[in-house]
Amino acid sequence: MTQFYGPSRKRYIRQQKQTHGRHPFGVFPAHYPREILWAMNVLPVEIWDPPLEVSHANAHLQPYICSVVKLGLELILQGQCDDLDGFLFPHTCDSIQNLASIVYDYLDIKKPCYFFYHPKAPYRSSSRQYYLEQLQTLASRLEKQLGPLDLSELKQRVQQGERLAYVLRELYTLRARGELCASNTEFYRVIRQGEYLHPDDFLPILEGFLADRKGQADRLCPIILSGILPNPQEILHLLDNLEARVAEDDLLNCSRRLLQPPVAREDPFEALAENYFAMPPCTTKDSPLMERVGFLLQKAAHTDARGVIFCMVKFCEPEFFDLPQMVEELKEKGLASLVVDSELNQGLSGQLATRVEAFLEMIR
Amino acid sequence: MDYFAGIDVGALSTDAVILTAGSEVAAYSIVETGANSTDAAEEALAGVLAEAEIVRSQIKRIVATGYGRVSVPFADKRVTEISCHALGAYHLFPDTGTVIDIGGQDSKVIQVGEGGKVLNFTMNDKCAAGTGRFLEVMANKLQVALDEMGELSLRAGREVPISSVCTVFAESEVVSLVAQNHPTEEIIRGLHRSIVNRVWNMVKAVGVNGGVAMTGGVAKNRGVVALMEEKLGQSVHLHEEPQVVGALGAALLAWRASQSAG
Ligand code: SF4
Repeated sequence: MTQFYGPSRKRYIRQQKQTHGRHPFGVFPAHYPREILWAMNVLPVEIWDPPLEVSHANAHLQPYICSVVKLGLELILQGQCDDLDGFLFPHTCDSIQNLASIVYDYLDIKKPCYFFYHPKAPYRSSSRQYYLEQLQTLASRLEKQLGPLDLSELKQRVQQGERLAYVLRELYTLRARGELCASNTEFYRVIRQGEYLHPDDFLPILEGFLADRKGQADRLCPIILSGILPNPQEILHLLDNLEARVAEDDLLNCSRRLLQPPVAREDPFEALAENYFAMPPCTTKDSPLMERVGFLLQKAAHTDARGVIFCMVKFCEPEFFDLPQMVEELKEKGLASLVVDSELNQGLSGQLATRVEAFLEMIR
Repeated sequence: MDYFAGIDVGALSTDAVILTAGSEVAAYSIVETGANSTDAAEEALAGVLAEAEIVRSQIKRIVATGYGRVSVPFADKRVTEISCHALGAYHLFPDTGTVIDIGGQDSKVIQVGEGGKVLNFTMNDKCAAGTGRFLEVMANKLQVALDEMGELSLRAGREVPISSVCTVFAESEVVSLVAQNHPTEEIIRGLHRSIVNRVWNMVKAVGVNGGVAMTGGVAKNRGVVALMEEKLGQSVHLHEEPQVVGALGAALLAWRASQSAG
């Protein structure tokens, strides 16, 4: 079913430059106003888990830094970002802050770097104002490089972002109900293309996928994935083989960034702010732990999932900070969990596979 | 008469158990896994068939377990060793609430519920500390037979503390202790303590409920068992061949499947 897959990143980036004159930007995780970038003809290309061996980056980073940051830096150091016209570093965690400073202050990369600060919970009345100011600041900085931002274009991109979120929500809802005929591997392969495809290309893929795969799926053991991203990637294939269906997720690169149904706003900046504050709870936004627990329990309740697998990226501070208490709270509420922590791109060892398999045997 | 088999392909040994249609143990066999898991599974099965004095066609169903379970082409089903050890231990000792399985390459602590169901588990699968491999390396360094270590440590009047948990560092620590003329048995007792302490962290994470069964090859080491009992403050259940408990669990699953299939 190759029609649901776009071209590879490298080819796509070049093609976008040539055919649409778009400016590809390397964007680090996780929350940023992609609509502003789209409106300024920027193609955000997110950097999560490039398939590389870390060698050069170790010289710049402490051993206890997560591999999202290590791989991102490696990508830059290996000269694999030459096609990019800039970088954006959202203020996700200390590690990304650290990376931003290494890239901007110490590496002579000769590409514009932008920073985006978003408010963290608990939100106060001033948080919204702060967020609006950050959106405006980012836009005006980008304008210096890329020319003026057209507000009607931004409005249109905000609507496109909401349409994208609508289709994604539909896919999630169908999957939760067991009415989407797609394997775990395929589901994430399709939706993760949103990390680099332009919405003009991604939206038709998602719509096609939704139309094609709607239907009664096999009854498989429902589970929830939580954490940063589905890692190791092989875990999805293993879950497929073990007849388990990821019925919901609480992954930073997926549903934690999923927009909720929009509230009508005339001003596109106001609409972006509205969307940001309505997003699901997340460790990188310092959301209260009990809010996260409640969110997971709600997902478990509507999918009948009996277990949560935490896909942890080693040394991810925000996630590990919450983890012990999360596990305890879920256990108390009768929801079993399994913690799988590994570096990115390290594959799935036999032992790790056994743990996942035993966990499924336990909750079935 | 129909029979049921369980085969546990572990890192060091491959074990097979045959059950009768009434779920009684008919025979078991233990062979070294060696370099080829499939050959080891074949060998263990041949051994247990001979022991039970039956032929292969009388086996109605086979369940494979252990890290090499995927390499048993003739198995009808594959189940993790965690579920199998829980069920095997529960079958042997029905008051079992916790299983401590210290195998050749990993160790596990399993909380067991009604019917031998796994309620929770934890696994040390990242390094050799707290596993049979740790003892194997140390036995080699101390030039004693692995199966003599238990007896030797029970004879020790004192123990020499081993501060390193890591197998590689502990190995060099042992070399220094030997050079300082510490008696071998005292060093061994210290090594056993180090394994027990390591596994104890897992026991604490899972919790102790009811009877405790020890399974896996290291449970044959009386020195480790004695220190674990001391730590637990209660005696543990032991099968005469603790490493066959996983294969027994697998055989029970084979038997159960045929019961539910009618
Ligand atoms: S994995 Fe965790 S520590 Fe690393 S960049 Fe993401 S949020 Fe930050």
